[in-house]
Amino acid sequence: MMRLRLPLAVVGIAILLFGVLRLITEVPTEALVGLGVWLIAALVIHDGIASPLIIAVGVVLARWVPPRARRYVQFALIVSALIAVIAIPLAYREDTQPPAESMLLQNYLGNLTLLIGIVAAFSIAAYAIRVAEDSRAASGSHGAATQGG
Amino acid sequence: MTATQGPARPKVWPRFTSPLRSTAVTARLGSLLGICIVICFATGMLSHYQYSPWSWLPEPASPVWGYRLSQGLHVITGIAAIPLTLVKLWSVYPNLYRWPPLKSLKHAAERLSIAVLVSAVLVQLATGFMNVMGWYPWPWGFVSVHRFLAYVIIGSILLHIGIKLPDIKYGLQAKVADADVLTETPWSDNPDAHTNAGDVPPPATPALTRRGLLVGTGVGVGLVVATTVGQTLTPLEPIGLLAVREPEKGPQGVPVNKTAASAGITEADVGGGWTLTVDGPSPFTLTLDEVEAMSEHVEHWPINCVEGWSVGAQWQGLRLLDLVTRAGGTSDSRVRVLSVQQSGYNESDLVGPQVSVALLATHINTERLNLDHGYPLRLISPNRAGVLNTKWLNRVEVT
Repeated sequence: MMRLRLPLAVVGIAILLFGVLRLITEVPTEALVGLGVWLIAALVIHDGIASPLIIAVGVVLARWVPPRARRYVQFALIVSALIAVIAIPLAYREDTQPPAESMLLQNYLGNLTLLIGIVAAFSIAAYAIRVAEDSRAASGSHGAATQGG
Repeated sequence: MTATQGPARPKVWPRFTSPLRSTAVTARLGSLLGICIVICFATGMLSHYQYSPWSWLPEPASPVWGYRLSQGLHVITGIAAIPLTLVKLWSVYPNLYRWPPLKSLKHAAERLSIAVLVSAVLVQLATGFMNVMGWYPWPWGFVSVHRFLAYVIIGSILLHIGIKLPDIKYGLQAKVADADVLTETPWSDNPDAHTNAGDVPPPATPALTRRGLLVGTGVGVGLVVATTVGQTLTPLEPIGLLAVREPEKGPQGVPVNKTAASAGITEADVGGGWTLTVDGPSPFTLTLDEVEAMSEHVEHWPINCVEGWSVGAQWQGLRLLDLVTRAGGTSDSRVRVLSVQQSGYNESDLVGPQVSVALLATHINTERLNLDHGYPLRLISPNRAGVLNTKWLNRVEVT
């Protein structure tokens, strides 16, 4: 399998350079500058702003939410965030197109709320079951200890 | 294997301790993302081919659902790749803070290739999604740049796989719960990594586990797919809470991508004096009454948009081949249909199998085409990008 490394890299670089060449030769300079700005902005926004924010959320959760509950909070937040990434741009673009196109006609924030509500309900239910099971196990082992004594 | 301590790093430097991050997690996310991107790339290229096929390899007319499937896959894998990319990048974020930042020319080249890959993927996915929402806040032409960036991305991914193959192999073979934690210190510099220290206890994950993270990602991406794919997978339209299009709500049961108003078409353009001119070895002209009298062929074909929506419809119209033959052509002729529309996608070419099956439609879902759908006459052919089914026709050229 490792013998594939060099061919993969060589073919990859060739296709990559082909793409760059097509961009440079076929896209007007002004548009190309705009594209460059977008490419750099994407890195800055993702690596410099969005990622640190996500990590900060994780740090706050670790600090303030006990592990047993945190598991469910993390799960719900991950699912909700992944849905929100798609839903929020849709909400921003809502009702911007002619009705005949039958596009962007929904109440996307409402739909996002509904989806997050479902995810939250499942997570809370799973947490409640976990708490109930833990307390039953605790009283069960207590009972067993009593019997043993 | 002896682990080597890297050079001392600055006193203030980010430390990443989350036990959720691991090459085992990254390799799994990356494999899934890679599959999505390869499907997205291949179907994207198929779509570009629709616009400019080689004359010796014309677009087939069957299966009638070909473009519906391929372009539906293109948009849905692209949308699924957005959340997947974000989680995948989260899983390797500590790599951004390796010390020293650049060890050698080779290391610098590797980091540059990652920067190219990440920025191209982020821009490609964002602009692709924005295009589907009819949103173009950038100074370049979407179609060509989308294609060229696709080359950059697929090339960068092959290079990336070539560079990372040992990590991918380790990551996929390691058990999710046991594998080394991925931090800003590469495993080769970390004496505590089990790769160096032999069997060590798996990292403690007191809250969410790595498996929980992967399941959460799967549920998130799965919900995004399930609630958007209804715009092309009709049975799921009722749960399409995040679908851009709702084909059912379109006039006459089909969405319109270019309204008459936005194409600059008025009733007067296609009013009383409208005729259809068929140019060829023996040219002729048909009046509206003659066209409507000849409209007797019925087909059930989906109409499929490059923006990823599609819907089945019943079409009634004239067989294009009948007009082509009458004008002195054959099923081997190259046929161009032209619109009253002054600019934009106002003409398209047919060659090969589609010449024989295409209709010039007058009716959609048993109703006379309305102006937005291309009254009085539009092209419809199976396995053909929606935008190439030219509307408001008044001329056919046979060569």
